[in-house]
Amino acid sequence: MKRMRRYVRNNAVPLALLAPAVMIILVVVLLPLIFSFYTGFTNYRLIRPESLWDFIGLRNYARVLTDADFWAALWRTVLFLTVALNLEMLLGLCLALMVNRITWGQRTMRTIMMFPMMFSPILVGFQFKYMFNDTIGVVNNALQSLGLSQKAIPFLVDRWLAFGSIAFAEIWMSTSIFAILILAGLFAMPRDPIEAARVDGCTSWQVFRHITLPFLMPFIYIAMTIRSLDVARAYDIVDVMTGGGPAGRTELLWTLIARTAYDDARMGRANAMAYVSILLSIFFTWFFFRKLMAARQHLGAF
Amino acid sequence: MAEVSLRKVIKRYGQMEVVHGIDLEIAHNEFVVLVGPSGCGKSTTLRMIAGLEEISDGEIAIGGKVVNRLPPRQRNISMVFQNYALYPHMTVRENLGFSLKIAGKAREEIDRAADEAAQILGLTPYMDRTPGELSGGQRQRVAMGRAIVRHPDVFLFDEPLSNLDAKLRSQMRIEIKKLHQTVATTVVYVTHDQVEAMTLADRIVIMRDGHIVQTGTPLDVFERPVNTFVATFIGSPAMNLVDGMAEGGAIRLSDNVRVPLPHGFAALAEGQRVTFGFRADNLMPLGHGLAETGEVATLELPVSLAEPLGAETLLLAEIAGKEVQAKMMHPRPVSPGEVLKFQLALDYCHLFDAESGVRLERKRDHGTD
Amino acid sequence: MSRGQRDFLIWVATFLVMLAICIPGLWVVLSAFRPNGEILTKPAVWIPRDLSFDNFRAIFGLGDNVVGIPVGSYFWNSAVISVTSTVVAVTIGMSGGYAFARYRFPGKSSAFLWLMLSRTVPGIALSLPLFILWSWTGLIDTKLGVIIVYTAINVPFTIWLTEGFFRQVPRDLSEAAQIDGCTPWQAFWKVEFPLAKSGIASAAIFAFLTSWNEYALASQLTRSTDSKTLPVGLMDFTAQFTIDWAGMSAMAVIIIIPALILTFLVQKHLIAGLTFGGVKG
Ligand SMILES: Nc1ncnc2c1ncn2[C@@H]1O[C@H](COP(=O)(O)OP(=O)(O)OP(=O)(O)O)[C@@H](O)[C@H]1O
Ligand SMILES: [Mg+2]
Repeated sequence: MKRMRRYVRNNAVPLALLAPAVMIILVVVLLPLIFSFYTGFTNYRLIRPESLWDFIGLRNYARVLTDADFWAALWRTVLFLTVALNLEMLLGLCLALMVNRITWGQRTMRTIMMFPMMFSPILVGFQFKYMFNDTIGVVNNALQSLGLSQKAIPFLVDRWLAFGSIAFAEIWMSTSIFAILILAGLFAMPRDPIEAARVDGCTSWQVFRHITLPFLMPFIYIAMTIRSLDVARAYDIVDVMTGGGPAGRTELLWTLIARTAYDDARMGRANAMAYVSILLSIFFTWFFFRKLMAARQHLGAF
Repeated sequence: MAEVSLRKVIKRYGQMEVVHGIDLEIAHNEFVVLVGPSGCGKSTTLRMIAGLEEISDGEIAIGGKVVNRLPPRQRNISMVFQNYALYPHMTVRENLGFSLKIAGKAREEIDRAADEAAQILGLTPYMDRTPGELSGGQRQRVAMGRAIVRHPDVFLFDEPLSNLDAKLRSQMRIEIKKLHQTVATTVVYVTHDQVEAMTLADRIVIMRDGHIVQTGTPLDVFERPVNTFVATFIGSPAMNLVDGMAEGGAIRLSDNVRVPLPHGFAALAEGQRVTFGFRADNLMPLGHGLAETGEVATLELPVSLAEPLGAETLLLAEIAGKEVQAKMMHPRPVSPGEVLKFQLALDYCHLFDAESGVRLERKRDHGTD
Repeated sequence: MSRGQRDFLIWVATFLVMLAICIPGLWVVLSAFRPNGEILTKPAVWIPRDLSFDNFRAIFGLGDNVVGIPVGSYFWNSAVISVTSTVVAVTIGMSGGYAFARYRFPGKSSAFLWLMLSRTVPGIALSLPLFILWSWTGLIDTKLGVIIVYTAINVPFTIWLTEGFFRQVPRDLSEAAQIDGCTPWQAFWKVEFPLAKSGIASAAIFAFLTSWNEYALASQLTRSTDSKTLPVGLMDFTAQFTIDWAGMSAMAVIIIIPALILTFLVQKHLIAGLTFGGVKG
């Protein structure tokens, strides 16, 4: 207690500056998480408030961890994240390199590039649901008009096609974040090392591989970190495009949680699952954050 | 009247004490330079005077008033930072006038003061540029201009010239000196460049590890360094130090190099270990300089390297396996390995206690030897 | 192939890629101006024959066929919620970012990490307990309830961006200002704030876009016309088995436009903001 008081007195100014931020996060994030941690051990159902006190120990977790649907959703989520993040990174890198190369009209291109960033995920979901629709969708219409396909392709119904469509939407939405951050890195890149490498006889590819790319790594990790902060926005897309269906074939962890909580009204079990999803997010963020710190240190030695 | 007094000033960062009870009295209009190796606490001391750093213990007074609890803005000081700290989003004019604007002065008055400062420092053509569009020297001038606009009681400088190249540095050194003569103000100037210290200071304060080692006029500290640290720190090239031992009225530096005891050291006990110190200017080859009338010792030393500087040549000679620097006036070519006859002006040599490094005083007892 | 030719090819390729990126969005925008009949016919009508503002009139209740969706209220709710939460989050986050950039205190780096991790909690995971807690406290289905939540989820990223920026502003500028006669408060507003402006601007735009576009939380925390935001309102167009695509497209345009305008206004700061905020130092 005394140590606490001394700590506060010695650091009064920074603590005061941080207090509002910490306070609001305690109220909006930590407090609810503690609460949901508790309900994870109860048989809480929304429709029966008294069930909040129905303590059932680890039964929810046991149920969740033995539930095949849960594991399927979890693996699908991990697969989804891995595929989406990597493709976004690669495409973003290409976009950034292209935009960086051109001089005429670069500002305009840059602005166009940021276009998808402004779209609400839910809007993106609807947009692609609309485009991939098997009767009125522009994609199917185009394929049929061009004679590339006889009958409508069930983009949002077939297991893998639906997964691909969702990933496509997600990638469309988020690639520009990578592109913009990597472009920022390219702008910040000093010219001397590149010129020195040219003089040393490197080919363009070698310059890219040994000079540009290492310099860009921290920016790539920043983009990864920022993205993994809100990967769960993909929930909106999936919820709109397929709702996890048909028959749970595109269920991601987040849609499964929502269904368990609101449709089945099993709050306790949903909260148990939510904790798994939180750990997953934290893992992704932490993983890239660590890489970022390492890359930063490496860059500092440049 | 703005004299600055530091009384038993202590600075601690957490548990670590970095300035250990400094006492210093700076007179009105005095130009005091704090020198010392990196990390010795010069900036910390200066920043405590400025009010940017809290004083852990002791007291600082400006113009007789204790300022320990006053924020910087109430101390009527101005400061030139090492990196100039110009406001990048303001033009030169706005930079110069900023302090007056904050003080709520009228527009015309601000402009007049800014113009006047620009006039003194030759900044008039650049008034509407931002700091990013200025050269290093011009930035430095703006920083000084910003300081003089306020007519402060005390000027504080923290290594203001260390980011300039050698030529600009000597030029700005002169300008600072002139500035001090035109706008007579108390100045505390921090540097780790002893040349700057020697040329600018009315009084030099030499610091080491958070202590003041010596205070005195430039000549004082050059001629009478209190210990080997000051002796090697002040003066360029650094003073040569060779370990030796008092033996039969002479100092034995090595088996074959002996130097007669200089005047005033007759009382040295036989066998006492000392450090023998002399500057390059006082060790010269026979016939190349040293038109001295005082006591002179002659030594034969091998030369390992010659560095011609034009008017003179710096020689690296060897005593007891240790390299010492010597100077050669009216130089002639010297080849490495050549053995030359050197003359050493004993009146300018120093003896330091081998243990503590403290300089041994000459006794005025000519008669005894 | 000459250098000029190659540059030209790269330009054309870039342009085509950009065009491809825009097509999905543009298709929706185009649909907003076409009647449902034309959109839904089979075989598809490729060249629009009937462009009009009818869909917009309909959702604002002005035209002949009225859609019973209070888009005006949703827009107002979205605007109030996004603007308020952005302003508050940037203020709070800036103060936190400043503390991290300028002060040393024990536990600093772990505090930073924890604040960042708080942002990783998926909206859906947060919405379950918030839904219950907000029902108990009466914050459910109010704009205030959503504003509080959005502020909290925007604070960590704002701290991150502004911290990087304040770290870029040399400490001695503030000290110089204080010696020039400023109080620490004045020194902040006159020197440090203007210099960190791009960082703060990009933090603000990110916060705004997050709030403006958020769905997972809002869909659980709002129910009525008084608090529903535009993304939640978009769901009104979906009935059990049918979707009013034309109306929905019109509403999509309404959602995009403010975001578009704001992003263009600050896009210069955005690149600068991201370059210097994140990595350096
Ligand atoms: N904020 C701080 N926290 C802890 N220790 C510090 C802090 N600032 C300085 N020090 C320590 O105090 C000592 C004195 O620092 P100071 O900056 O005064 O040195 P200096 O003499 O100005 O050196 P230089 O010539 O390199 O500028 C150093 O050992 C430094 O490590
Ligand atoms: Mg210093």
